[in-house]
Amino acid sequence: MFRVLLAKDLRRAWRNPVPWLVNLALPLCITALIGLTFGGYIESDQIGRIKFAFVDEDNSPATTYLRGYLTATTGQAAEHLEPLFVNRETALQLINNNEISSVFIIPANFTIDYLTGRKSVALELIKNPTESIHPAVLEELLGTVVTGMNVASRYFQFEQPEWKAAVQKGADPRQILELIERAGQRAQMARQYISSPLIGLEKNGSTGKTKSNTSESGTDGGFNLFAYILIGMTGMYLLFLAGSGMMDLQRELRIRTFERYQTLRQRTWAFLLSKVVFAGALVLFGSFVLLAGGGLIFHIHWPQPLALAALMCAYASFAAGLMALLAVLAPDERQANSFNYIVALSLSIPGGCMFPAGALPDFMRHHITPFMPTAWFADTARELSYGNAKFTWILVSFKLVLLSVVLIGAAAFFLRRRLKTGART
Amino acid sequence: MMNAESNPGINLPFPRMSMLKVQGLSKAFGANRAVDSVCFEVSPGEIYGLLGPNGAGKTTTISMLCGLLKPDAGEIFVAGAAFSADPQKAKRIMGVVPQDLALYEELSGRENLEFWGRIAGLSSREAKSRAMELLDALTLADRAKDAVKTYSGGMKRRINLGCALLHRPQLLLLDEPTVGIDPQARLNILEFIGQLRASGTAILYTTHYLEEAESICQRIGIIDQGKLLAEGTLSQLQERLGRDRLFVVEADFKDSSPDAWDGFNQRFRVIQRSEKQLVLAAIGARDPSECLKDLLGLPVRVENVTLKRPSLNDVFLQLTGRDLRE
Repeated sequence: MFRVLLAKDLRRAWRNPVPWLVNLALPLCITALIGLTFGGYIESDQIGRIKFAFVDEDNSPATTYLRGYLTATTGQAAEHLEPLFVNRETALQLINNNEISSVFIIPANFTIDYLTGRKSVALELIKNPTESIHPAVLEELLGTVVTGMNVASRYFQFEQPEWKAAVQKGADPRQILELIERAGQRAQMARQYISSPLIGLEKNGSTGKTKSNTSESGTDGGFNLFAYILIGMTGMYLLFLAGSGMMDLQRELRIRTFERYQTLRQRTWAFLLSKVVFAGALVLFGSFVLLAGGGLIFHIHWPQPLALAALMCAYASFAAGLMALLAVLAPDERQANSFNYIVALSLSIPGGCMFPAGALPDFMRHHITPFMPTAWFADTARELSYGNAKFTWILVSFKLVLLSVVLIGAAAFFLRRRLKTGART
Repeated sequence: MMNAESNPGINLPFPRMSMLKVQGLSKAFGANRAVDSVCFEVSPGEIYGLLGPNGAGKTTTISMLCGLLKPDAGEIFVAGAAFSADPQKAKRIMGVVPQDLALYEELSGRENLEFWGRIAGLSSREAKSRAMELLDALTLADRAKDAVKTYSGGMKRRINLGCALLHRPQLLLLDEPTVGIDPQARLNILEFIGQLRASGTAILYTTHYLEEAESICQRIGIIDQGKLLAEGTLSQLQERLGRDRLFVVEADFKDSSPDAWDGFNQRFRVIQRSEKQLVLAAIGARDPSECLKDLLGLPVRVENVTLKRPSLNDVFLQLTGRDLRE
């Protein structure tokens, strides 16, 4: 009986696939849109080449040297940076055309002012507002340069007049050599202060641990913005998909086929269970399309595919169970539809599916998000995508399955109660 | 309540035994008594028509008979056994054709039939062969593979009927099976239902079409506002009015009342009255010509008097004071 009911639902879905395809296409489109706008993917722990405009209005020997360093074809700068040496107007034109991620400007008289200490100096950085990662990296880099220059200005302030003279009068190699030698000696004296290990900040374990893991497995485990977004979108749209699947129960109530079923069969559990399995199967198929298909489209590597598959199965059962309960409680198809969307969004937003959980308000982040099954799923799936959630997925999958059993039980109870006085309610 | 045993006019080809017996069936929705102490029986090879206007309680009655609604009071017996004792057993005996088209429009006619056959307990092979039989019988074989959504209204109605017949039910509950279709399609369905009756199926047929009830039902129950007002064969119901004829008198009755006419109420019963027309039944066995003479002598200027056979609508009119077609 159960098999007959399920086959019928699958056949109907096959004949009318548009509603399901929309729910599969939307998250892929949104992921592509957000991903392409805000950064995309970064392979092999590299941040990619940052294309930016370098505007040198100072034109001093120091900045000339810096330009020379940046145009070198080898070294770290060449690997990560792709500067375009243009004037201010051209640079602004380029950033307006979204062709570069930032504009870095060294204003006129910067070197002289810095060396003489005549007045405070400032470097200018104009970031492209449509990009997030590259401008941020460049800003961090510039922050480091500024800190270094501040340190230098404090430590070498007694030698600055000589540097100024050397710069203003022109480069006398012997004088500059002497200055460099003295600077080296001073740096040697300060060695004990600067040789202590640097303190770093590690986010989401995606730097150190991932690096060691990927080096062991020889696979690509770099941060991928598409993966981050896609997991959230998947969490949310799979709820919508489960809602569409379970909506079929309401549809059958409306077209009276459920009543017809009841005129032939006394027990209704098989009918409800077939709908739950149907919705779960749709969600599983959807998750395969989104994560496997999305993985191919957006070059996402899933380091633990079996763990991810198990997690998806658990999430599919949870989504189907939740939507079964909503379908049974909703008075009619139209209200069930609205109800599903509201509940799915209410779970997705605090669950970190639409926005990163860290960006949510404090109260929500600390008191609501930890209890959201969507957050359990999204966090664990993201950890899996970093290759970190070695055992967490087992616990999370178990919690999701347990919750789905409770939800399906509740749905069966309420359906039975609803039909107690007859299907025509 | 009347039954076939007391009605010599009924000629059933099958032995007398109630396939469906309903006793004191009642259902209320809040203050509204949708069905009120309804009693009737349906025998094998009989079509029992439940005739009434929309909202009379026909669908509610059928919903209780097939277990979709729980009655507030009353008993239902299917093939001699109480429905409540073993609902699944009763459901195996009956087939229900709902008023709405309870079909999967994405599936083909054959797939719909096969699916409902499987749900009714047939094996895959049985369901397939029975579906083909029914498609032939319903003259839908050439459209068997087409999706139901491409069918005409009449074809959908036929498939809707067929879906209840896969398991060869002995009792068929038909809830207005010809609503909203053209006369030719209706005729096809009525012929098919006639064939089912001839094969011994007991049929409960609800309708608000007088012509259908008159043409295919062996017995008719008239229901209004949840109450079964009268039942019997068509001739029995007609006899309630005035044997086999009614008099329609056309005149100006604006300023005159039949109650004021000397001895009129002892000779005639008023079935319907308007300013221009009186529909009357003669009381007692009187000769029509004598009645006509009597009517022409009324103290009003009679413009026309006609004779007609009493219809079910006249019966309904007499019972409720309302026209069934209103």
